[in-house]
Amino acid sequence: MNVLTVHDVIFRTDDLFELQLERRATQFEPGACVALFSNTTESRPYSIAAGSGEDVLRFLIRRVPNGIVSNWLAQRQPGDKVSASEPFGWFRPGRAVAGTRSVFIATGTGIAPFLSYLRSNPQRQPELCLYGVRLHEEALNLEELQQIENFRLALSQEEVNGHFHGRITGLLEQIPFADDIHYYLCGLDTMIDETSIWLENHGVAYTQIHREIFFYEDGQL
Amino acid sequence: MKMDNSNQWHCTSQNEPRGFIQPQSLDELWFHSGTNCNLRCPFCLEGSKPGDNRIEFLTLEDARRFMDEALELGVKKFSFTGGEPFVNPEFIQILDYALELRPCLVLTNATEPLMNQIGDVLPLRDKPNTLNFRVSLDHPDPVKHDESRGRGNFRKALATLGRLHQEGFGVSIARLMLSGEDSASVDRAYTPYFESAGVPLDLTIIKFPDFHLPGSLPQVAEITETCMIRYLSAEQRDKFMCNFSKMIVTKNGQCGVYACTLVDDVENYDLGKTLHEAMEKRVLLGHHRCYSCFAGGASCSEG
Repeated sequence: MNVLTVHDVIFRTDDLFELQLERRATQFEPGACVALFSNTTESRPYSIAAGSGEDVLRFLIRRVPNGIVSNWLAQRQPGDKVSASEPFGWFRPGRAVAGTRSVFIATGTGIAPFLSYLRSNPQRQPELCLYGVRLHEEALNLEELQQIENFRLALSQEEVNGHFHGRITGLLEQIPFADDIHYYLCGLDTMIDETSIWLENHGVAYTQIHREIFFYEDGQL
Repeated sequence: MKMDNSNQWHCTSQNEPRGFIQPQSLDELWFHSGTNCNLRCPFCLEGSKPGDNRIEFLTLEDARRFMDEALELGVKKFSFTGGEPFVNPEFIQILDYALELRPCLVLTNATEPLMNQIGDVLPLRDKPNTLNFRVSLDHPDPVKHDESRGRGNFRKALATLGRLHQEGFGVSIARLMLSGEDSASVDRAYTPYFESAGVPLDLTIIKFPDFHLPGSLPQVAEITETCMIRYLSAEQRDKFMCNFSKMIVTKNGQCGVYACTLVDDVENYDLGKTLHEAMEKRVLLGHHRCYSCFAGGASCSEG
């Protein structure tokens, strides 16, 4: 267990915030998560959004009603202490066999592992990145993501010029297929299940579909 | 949890000699991969959850050392439990080494950690020894399974079970056993799910009673030497897991040998730093989970 100092807490909307913790000597790969603890023994895993060369650990967190950990973290101030596990995980965007290409598909704070990858490997772009949120203001780090050559944003509850209006699954037809492409899905389980089935129905081997489901801490999506 | 290390440990609360097993062989060596898990099941006997490190990740270096020592003692099989073994970052390498030596069994929830690495698992079919998976499907009712394990996880585990079987691996399932259940009827309720997954309808189903959370102290009858002789035959006593197996556990940076897969929360069952040393030690049946073996013949082993 590590005890890390809060570097900053930056609110992007009323419910979404970026928590920055000092990194110290923490080693991680893009896609890794860390269990963060509240002042009780409760903990929740959060994906690291920082690049491997940064001095801070960044986490994108949605504050949920009655969420013990997310609400406690939202109330931290710079200089406060937060207990954290060592990084761990089973989702490694872009890590598959050397020479393969990637497609990233995320909803909500599920963009965090992909931001970590892009910040760690600025020269290695995915073939396509699809990102789905409800409202434009919830699209985290949009300017940074728009540096990706093939980036598409889906807004399910708002019409904004230049972006797709509808669920992210409405953009699946844009996905490229090739034997050397691995598909990385992160976010809500409904999106991941629908997309996995769609990919398999289009001939993608299940060994090339990689999934990371984000549940809100009360177990509801 | 620390239990009484004085002479009281050798006696029950009624001052009768505590029942024991004097290990006879090392047929099966279990490895605990660590209590880090992608799921957070409220009934987990290991108390596993994301980021948990009550039991730390098994390292490849430690695994190799104990596997090599186990060969000297005639081990026939290596088995792995967690946590979720596929959360351990070195697990594929550990399996790769183990399968050169002996057949292996892996207990898994068959969700994302395994699903995401299945491309790395498939080449293990070509190793000289067989790899079997035991997938947790707690209830033959997806809703009940998902209440504890999270939405959609029954369906995922079932699909992965089917894929593992179709890829040529051996498979079985583990389920929870409810008190007073009609076991045959519960087992039969899995049939339509086995059918849909394309696995044999007579798949082995391992049943586990409620083992309670680590560190808990439920009231169970104490096992005396007399009980072991009066109520159990020699053949039944031989079937206690601590008679023929051990488990490797990593705590506080130290890897050691525990008496079985169910007692890693009590220091009295830490039998030392080598298998040779551990095999010499008598296992006193003082853990509440020992009573499950005594009363119901519970076993994590598949023979």
